[in-house]
Amino acid sequence: MNGLHGLVLTHFQAFLLFAAVISVAFGFLGRRQPKDRVKYILWSFFLFLLVGVGIGWAMYPFSR
Amino acid sequence: MSEETSQVVQEPAQEAAPAPKAPREGLALGLAFAGWFLPGLGHALQRMWGRALIVFVGVGLLVVVGVSMRGNIFVSRGNDAFDTLGYLADLGTGSFYFVARGMERGGTDVSHANGDYGTRFLATAGVLNLLAALHAYEAARGRKA
Repeated sequence: MNGLHGLVLTHFQAFLLFAAVISVAFGFLGRRQPKDRVKYILWSFFLFLLVGVGIGWAMYPFSR
Repeated sequence: MSEETSQVVQEPAQEAAPAPKAPREGLALGLAFAGWFLPGLGHALQRMWGRALIVFVGVGLLVVVGVSMRGNIFVSRGNDAFDTLGYLADLGTGSFYFVARGMERGGTDVSHANGDYGTRFLATAGVLNLLAALHAYEAARGRKA
């Protein structure tokens, strides 16, 4: 475990990892058919990215 | 309303006796508890292998990454309501909470953004596992598949 300890991720990398794990979990829990799961996972992941990046840009004017 | 009709309404329904649900309810609660204690176990016991694997790996990955990023693992002796909420969220990972405590070597470091992200990963792992346990409970009751 010491190899992983002190793991450093950028904000965007952490965001991508979070979105990927949650999208896959939601897809498997929320849908039964493989095709539906894939569609749900991709759509959910895309929406995570869209909302995350959108909120980031919305906060940009207040960052300076 | 005629008198005849009102008599029909007032009579108790003889045929609509509800089936006993206690055994299934107890089983569902047991599966939910199993799913909380070991992420994915509630689904595995219902032979939902894919979901069990995804829940186990997903929750485990979030916990490992959260601890590796030196996220805060809350304890029961919290200073305020936010600490208590954080503790409840972390405890949602079940046995993985104690694994995370055991893995914690250098302590938490939330003075940097990285540690703060780790704290969120740990809380997310707990809430995700609680959601999965609830799903296992509903599936056992036949409400979801």
